[in-house]
Amino acid sequence: MLDSGTILTGMGVGLGSVAAEVFRVKPLASLPNAAKHSGDEALETESLKTAIAAVSLEMNGLAEKAGETSAEIFEALIMLLEDEELFDTASAQISQGWNAGTAFINAVEEYADIFAGDATFEERLNDIRDLARRVAASIAGISLGLDIPTTGRFVIVGEDFSPADTAQFTQAVVGVVTIQGGPTSHTAIICRSKSIPAVVSCQQAKDLVDGMQVLVDPVGDRVVVDGQESDITEALSFIAKSEDPIIPVRANIGSLEDAIAASASAAEGVGLFRTELLYLSAKTQPTKQSQAASYTEILKAAPAGPIVVRTIDAGSDKPVPFLDMGDEENPALGVRGYRLIENHRDFIVDQLESLEIAREQSGREVWVMAPMVSTYSEAIEFAALARKAGNFKVGIMVETPSIVYQIAQLAGVLDFISVGTNDLSQYLFAADRMNPSLGAMLNPWQPALLRALEQIATVCQEAGVSSGVCGESASDPAFAVVLAGMGFQSVSSSRSQVGIVRQALSSVTKQQAKEVFEAALTGLDADQAKSAALAALAAISAK
Amino acid sequence: MATINGSVTVLDPIGLHARPAGQIVKLVKESGLEVRIGKAGQELAKANSPLRMMALKAKTGEELTIEVDSDDEAVATALIAQVQDFLKG
Repeated sequence: MLDSGTILTGMGVGLGSVAAEVFRVKPLASLPNAAKHSGDEALETESLKTAIAAVSLEMNGLAEKAGETSAEIFEALIMLLEDEELFDTASAQISQGWNAGTAFINAVEEYADIFAGDATFEERLNDIRDLARRVAASIAGISLGLDIPTTGRFVIVGEDFSPADTAQFTQAVVGVVTIQGGPTSHTAIICRSKSIPAVVSCQQAKDLVDGMQVLVDPVGDRVVVDGQESDITEALSFIAKSEDPIIPVRANIGSLEDAIAASASAAEGVGLFRTELLYLSAKTQPTKQSQAASYTEILKAAPAGPIVVRTIDAGSDKPVPFLDMGDEENPALGVRGYRLIENHRDFIVDQLESLEIAREQSGREVWVMAPMVSTYSEAIEFAALARKAGNFKVGIMVETPSIVYQIAQLAGVLDFISVGTNDLSQYLFAADRMNPSLGAMLNPWQPALLRALEQIATVCQEAGVSSGVCGESASDPAFAVVLAGMGFQSVSSSRSQVGIVRQALSSVTKQQAKEVFEAALTGLDADQAKSAALAALAAISAK
Repeated sequence: MATINGSVTVLDPIGLHARPAGQIVKLVKESGLEVRIGKAGQELAKANSPLRMMALKAKTGEELTIEVDSDDEAVATALIAQVQDFLKG
């Protein structure tokens, strides 16, 4: 039994919050075990056809109930359900002796094997598996309804909800908590579109039972047992106390459109220019002239200040057609980023030389950095290539834990480093960024990450290397204050967040930022660290 | 019957996922033509099954070969252009 006041951490969806009674959806009725049929293949095939038609009709009905936002999802699901190839695969299973329900589930699993490990499809795979269960249930005459109350106010708690499940949400559903599922799960998408406060990927929610009162607090990424509306995490408001932020706030860009939009923001230069987008749709390697022309245009349009350009960050999960990358078992751990130097040195040199032409033509201050550098030798090699190619400030991305231990030895070689917190988290925690069930480990407030970041900021100060952060965490205003408190010298945020991050960094002094960071360090887990930092910030703004 | 060849590039940031796969199959079924799609240099698959389209696991930036069995070149070219449009994301 969970004590009153217990905090369950997850990932918040939306900005609203709600306190209501828990309604735990009952686990799905169990389906009959896999079984063979009595020998009448035609009868089984016919019963499969009937069941598919019945579920298809049911989905059509749910689509109407669910309304416009989900209509497209249901249309796609119905097409998958009625897929001819899937039916043929299931028929082959029936010929092997399996009964209709078992055959359809087996057929879906054959496709599951093909899609396994591919993040793009895994969420959809769950949707298709849900359909297979529905077909099998229809054949067995089992109801899969959620039996959600139609009156009252309830926070619905379950493993995760498929499109067919969310379509059964009634007026009484005022909040949603899922144990599995991530920020891109179907549940999250639906809750966002219907403005239902939700917390997903909340593993401890498995201990919630019917009748408990909970507060769903998405802004705080948490669910509080017996929490009241008065306990909600306020979206922080920052009151700027000085004109300039304590460290520069730059913008992340990837295209000319981004550069133009960023120059309309308050960004001081560009902290991350992702160059791979220029190459993803090119079939052949662009000439140096055409690369230089694209870069010149973008550099000219970028907001005033230095422009930090990252050389190509491609890999087998982000392939560039003309670089001919094979498939890899573990793309995140494979040949990506600067590791392309092995087979594509000419391309990287071309890119640097094109940037030098663009730098001269635009008259802008250009810094270049290489992604995915994990050894001293790679850093030295890149620095030599970049300095030979042009008149740049030269740096590297810090994304792998290994390079952290050699930054001190790179004093005098590098002008700057920039931390990619998303990848650093992935490699520090050995937690796949593409796997939504590992989201909690990739929370930037994880104390181990905070300490790793502090170590990086400190070692850079000692080595006289300028340090910045361009990962997603730098777009969170409170986290940006913590980064400044650690000693980082700039942050780069997504364009839409530049204003609010700047405001946060203008609302504190360097000393206060340090205090906020020290408060975060007292936390033993991500939730405690974040709460402590937010409390410290609130105390400062109340002064 | 003649076969008209073309190529399309996956521009959708999440690759050839369920929605474009469904759109392509729907278009092909409505056209009544036999259309085959696959990765360049590999065996092509009949474009009548969204699952089989998704099983190509085509990623952003990848080029796909497309074959349309039709004697009407204008119809085939328009179909290929429409498929490219679905892959824009």
